[in-house]
Amino acid sequence: MVGNVVSSRELIWQLFKRDFLAGSKQSALGLLWILITPLVGIVSWVVMNAVGVLHPGEVGVPYPIYVLCGTTIWGMFMGFYSSAAASLTSAGGLLAQARFSHEALVAQQLAQAVIAALANLALLAAVWAVGGLSVHWSALWFPVSLLPLVLLGTGIGLIVSVFAVVVHDITKAVTTLLGLLMFATPVIYASNVPHDWLQRVIWWNPLTYLVGGARDLLLEGRINHMSSYAGAVAFALGLFFMAWRLFFLSEQKVAERL
Amino acid sequence: MSDRMVFKVEGVGKKFCRSHRHSMFYGTCDVLRGMLGRPSHSQTLRAQEFWALEGITFGLRPGERLGLLGANGSGKSTLLRLLAGIYQPDAGRIEVRGKICALIALGAGFHPLLTGRDNVYLNGAILGMSKRAIDRCFEQIVEFAGVGEFLDAPVKTYSSGMYVRLAFAVAVHSNPKVLVVDEILAVGDAAFQKKCFEQVAALNEQGTALVFVSHSMSAVERLCTSALVLSRGRQAFQGKVREAVQFYSGTVGNGIVQNGAVPEPIGLGEVTFSNVCVYADGGAVADPNIEFGKDFVIQFDYKFLRVQTHDTQVRVWVRTIDGRDVQRLAFQECAFEDQSSYANVKILPLREAGTVKIKVLRPCLFPQTFRVDVAMAPVDRGIHLGGLNNAALFNIVHPRNPGMYFEYGNHTITEFEYSVTLS
Repeated sequence: MVGNVVSSRELIWQLFKRDFLAGSKQSALGLLWILITPLVGIVSWVVMNAVGVLHPGEVGVPYPIYVLCGTTIWGMFMGFYSSAAASLTSAGGLLAQARFSHEALVAQQLAQAVIAALANLALLAAVWAVGGLSVHWSALWFPVSLLPLVLLGTGIGLIVSVFAVVVHDITKAVTTLLGLLMFATPVIYASNVPHDWLQRVIWWNPLTYLVGGARDLLLEGRINHMSSYAGAVAFALGLFFMAWRLFFLSEQKVAERL
Repeated sequence: MSDRMVFKVEGVGKKFCRSHRHSMFYGTCDVLRGMLGRPSHSQTLRAQEFWALEGITFGLRPGERLGLLGANGSGKSTLLRLLAGIYQPDAGRIEVRGKICALIALGAGFHPLLTGRDNVYLNGAILGMSKRAIDRCFEQIVEFAGVGEFLDAPVKTYSSGMYVRLAFAVAVHSNPKVLVVDEILAVGDAAFQKKCFEQVAALNEQGTALVFVSHSMSAVERLCTSALVLSRGRQAFQGKVREAVQFYSGTVGNGIVQNGAVPEPIGLGEVTFSNVCVYADGGAVADPNIEFGKDFVIQFDYKFLRVQTHDTQVRVWVRTIDGRDVQRLAFQECAFEDQSSYANVKILPLREAGTVKIKVLRPCLFPQTFRVDVAMAPVDRGIHLGGLNNAALFNIVHPRNPGMYFEYGNHTITEFEYSVTLS
């Protein structure tokens, strides 16, 4: 599987270049959209908080910083999920016209998610620098702490990509569910909530620890729930490798149904 | 696999599902079974499934050129996709040695917004070429495609001919062991097709094998040394190209003739037509296969059911199977009102009933299936006294001597020369 990706590196580059160039040719703002979309989201949460509609609880840092970190991290998860989920269906007719390593499609899609993630990290760094915010040296591990989260997003996306070829509703269903899951994850509010049932969902949700752990590392220089974070990392890695295997076993069989 | 084979196909079958809903369900089941390590139902037919291909067995050696012949829906494109590795067989196996380059669709992976230059690199990468390899032959690709001044224009501004030229140019420079070509070359003009044939021949001399699909039997016969005839997903014939073409024209093509020739009466029913047939001059009346360039006879019986009150014109049309006029022959009992007659209209008396034999001399009809429509009408009126559309079908087949083609120069269909005999 890895070998296929390595041997297809030139194809991955060409496909990446194709989508990047073609996308930029029909867009006035181009790459700026990577930043505009999350910024609009952040502004809306901050405004809701400012006018008193949203009560995020005690978050320990200024709310705009908290929500910026939370939505950036969540955005990366969703970005990798969406890219992986679209890897087969976005190729469409090409799969019916030529034989090539389909892992190249996944790698090409993920490369776009990586670009978006880097742009968001750059935005985060710029806010930190402009705001003169302090940062602990452990925050250098922040990008590494994001890896399990993006692997989980990629894993879910790979499973969806296989089933979406035969049943198109899968993508819509899972994307809607993940959208709901954001509200069961402490992205825009603190992890302690006054509702028992929601609190239980938050505690059982592995994304709580993957999102929260990375954010803790950036804001506080440590991961607060280390054992839970480790469990969530194991879950994310397990799901990713299972999904990768599933993709490898099934993609050829389902691709011909496109 | 034999040492010299570039690929070998053994008992290959491929099934599809007629119902999209069933297909979704089976697809999900197959993925889940695959996840659990259990075999899918690939060799058994479930509800709504059918074998699009079954029991296909053949092999190809380096430098061999195989044509695939078959009517629409016979499984040619499915077989090509199996050979190219795009589809996986549900039965049997395919062993491949070396790179297969498939030209199944026009410019696979081409992005309309990207320039011809960008698309050469993209298409080359899809075909497994490294950037360095593309760099090495880039000039040759551009020269072969003949898109020089448009190289940096988006390919969406290209004509379909330019598109296929660029795609073919990249494919032939990707150094494949097997070149699989669907009917896309038909898009190019005659000069480009000639260039393609020459390039394929040059690759062939270097050992590249070819699998070629076309409905143009002259192209198949010109390019291929052997051929495989498919009929309803089964291997109907395999052998030398000439024999395969004759088999296809005589058997599979004839199947179209027999199935398609459902005569449709037209007009007032004042005259009937029967026993309409077309056969080679000097050949068997029952054989509708006529060699290219050879004289043939259109024969039919007629009978007036009412006493003739008009000077009658007999009209015979030779049309393609999809109804395009190729030639119209007419003969009548008198000149037109102004005493003129058209060059192709002969003056002949008609009896109450009789047999008409029209001998068409040295026709320039290229191999395919044609239909004949017959009718009678008053010379001065448009209404038909009677007639039959789709009265008979016939096949023009390849000549035993391919040199016959050259005698016909630029291949323009000229007006038929013919003679009529009444009895």
